[in-house]
Amino acid sequence: MEERLRRTMMFVPGNNSGMVKDAGVYGADSIMFDLEDSVSMDQKDAARILVYEALQTQDYGNAELVVRVNGIDSPFFRSDVFAMVKAGIQVIRLPKVESAQMMKDLVSTIEEAEKKFGIKVGTTHVMAAIESARGVMKCLEIAESSDRMIGLALSAEDYTTDMKTHRYPDGAELEFARNMILHASRAAGIAAFDTVFTNMNDIEGFNHETEHIHQLGFDGKSLVNPRQIDLVNKVFEPTKKEIENALDVEAAIEEAQAKGSGVISMNGQMVDRPVVLRAQRVIRLAKASHLINEEGEYIEE
Amino acid sequence: MGIKETALAGTLESSDIQITLSEGSGINIDLDSSVEALYGDQIKKVITDTLNKYGITDAKVKAVDKGALDCVVKARTMAVAQRALGTTEEPNWEVL
Amino acid sequence: MEVREINIAIPRYRRKWQSFMEINGITEFSSNEVDKIEKTFMWDEDGDRAATGSIAGNVIKYVAVCSKYKEGGALFNKVVSYLLQQAAQMGRFHLFIFTKPKYVQSFEYVGFKKLAVSENGAILETGVPGITEYIEKLPHFEGKNGSIVMNANPFTLGHRRLVEVASSKNDHVYVFVVKNDVSLFTYEERIELVKKGVQDLKNVTVVSGDDYIISPATFPAYFLKSDQEIGTYQARLDAILFKDQIADPLDITTRYLGKEPYSKTTDSYNHELLDILPPEVNVEIIDRKTADDKIISATKVRQAILDNDQALLHEFLPETTMEFVKNNYPDLKKKLIEKGSK
Repeated sequence: MEERLRRTMMFVPGNNSGMVKDAGVYGADSIMFDLEDSVSMDQKDAARILVYEALQTQDYGNAELVVRVNGIDSPFFRSDVFAMVKAGIQVIRLPKVESAQMMKDLVSTIEEAEKKFGIKVGTTHVMAAIESARGVMKCLEIAESSDRMIGLALSAEDYTTDMKTHRYPDGAELEFARNMILHASRAAGIAAFDTVFTNMNDIEGFNHETEHIHQLGFDGKSLVNPRQIDLVNKVFEPTKKEIENALDVEAAIEEAQAKGSGVISMNGQMVDRPVVLRAQRVIRLAKASHLINEEGEYIEE
Repeated sequence: MGIKETALAGTLESSDIQITLSEGSGINIDLDSSVEALYGDQIKKVITDTLNKYGITDAKVKAVDKGALDCVVKARTMAVAQRALGTTEEPNWEVL
Repeated sequence: MEVREINIAIPRYRRKWQSFMEINGITEFSSNEVDKIEKTFMWDEDGDRAATGSIAGNVIKYVAVCSKYKEGGALFNKVVSYLLQQAAQMGRFHLFIFTKPKYVQSFEYVGFKKLAVSENGAILETGVPGITEYIEKLPHFEGKNGSIVMNANPFTLGHRRLVEVASSKNDHVYVFVVKNDVSLFTYEERIELVKKGVQDLKNVTVVSGDDYIISPATFPAYFLKSDQEIGTYQARLDAILFKDQIADPLDITTRYLGKEPYSKTTDSYNHELLDILPPEVNVEIIDRKTADDKIISATKVRQAILDNDQALLHEFLPETTMEFVKNNYPDLKKKLIEKGSK
């Protein structure tokens, strides 16, 4: 899987032309066009076409483009998948996933579409939204269901209903699901996305939750409002110490390459692969947060 | 070719366009847009071209534009064409 | 912001809906207005009511947006959009709105066309087929054109007399038959009997009033303040609509009315026509035809059907209508009894 930053995944209602048009201007790492819950039954066709046309014509910069299609049992699923594959979407997000088989069914529909439209098989990636107790208990098999998988996302609204609770400010009711999703994602080597935070006026609560999921190790958070993007990015900013350390690792790699050595060492210690990967991630974050430039030099405020 | 039934698609919200298709002979477009003087011809052209792709050559079109981009005009025309032809869940992949 | 359909027949939703309307200045909830509502939608933001709108036949009514969201009109546009989409789902693509004059601009902004505006109210329409299509479909004539509007429930010798007078004074006469079905005789029956009854008059064209010759009884007036005269408001709007949207494009220069000695409503209605139509459209009030000193009226005809008063029916009705009444007598009587006379 391509390593990339996925701090923010912004939800865009698929039948809202204003929001579909402007989705690229806020700097979200991923944009998720929604054909499911935010679109009423009688507008599914119109939303599908609107997102299709927007994907053909609009410039969304470097954002990763994701579409949430309608559920696998809905009458809209097949047309949604076909249209989005044809439009060249990067990732299809399936809602209410409860088994690896559901992802396999999605993948086989995608493959059918890729063949039909002459797109290289395997181009379209997938991710799963976990929205139930069963989904949480099956996280690992879902995460490992296909090499097209890029991530798991927690969807707390349906999950808490399924758990016979609701959302609380401290998020204790989500702790188990968060950890399950995170562990399954890490074990499978894919990304983990936390759920949305819907109370737009509670900035303190939002920051608190974002810090918490950052601490747990999530890649990022789903968002419903572009105003939340900067807040998340701020939390995900690496510290100066982390950046220094990462730049040291990079320098060590350069040094090893210059010497023609296959062994990277720093302060006399061998640097192993996880450390290299973490350093690369910190540098990506630092660049995305405009803390350092392409050459790895600090940008003066 | 004409249409099977009157249909409507799109909204009156900002950046959108609402299009109604009804029976008619030839493509006849009644456009209401605040940017009609500047972009009226372009909007009408996108609508006509898109309808033609669906084989619709006879229809009365009523369009209320709220500043839609071409891709939105096209998307709403496609949606209304499919509805008017009764083919919303069997999209014409060749047109898309 | 979430939208859902609510059933205002359920007391809980009726209260929620009505109190929201009242906060927003709409206080008229007579069954006359409310009973016609088929679908009502309510927009919520975090549990608070934000907007509402309803569909009644081809009319959008009881639209209200909380003042908090008025600025910019985005929610209003969303509400109207949604109502139009819902109406489309019901197969209705041609819709009217009756509103306060100050909201004309808001509705025009979302594609409605103004049909008539008076001091107290306004009628706008959107969708197809609209007034343009209606006028296009009617035959157009050169020369001096007269017009008569009638319900013809049923067509009597009184109506015939009115048409004859108009026919003799004009090169051409349009007879508009009110389409709204609130009568003993269905619209199809009424227009058919009018056509048969004037068949010999070659310069007379009988046409449907469609949605544009509006029967006053069907005008929504829920947004009027209680001290405003509903009848006057309806008559004035109807007159303005006729003058601007129908008489003008068809070059109609005279409208003929039957004199109304009995009904105060019709009399004040005629009064408003006199006030608004001239000078562009002259109004000529023709004395009612009498039979045996009795003024012919459709109301009396319906009573005579109920009473089986053959003599009066023969006196008041032309052959064509008489024949229809004879052939359908049991049905008509049954309908009258069910309706409780009239």
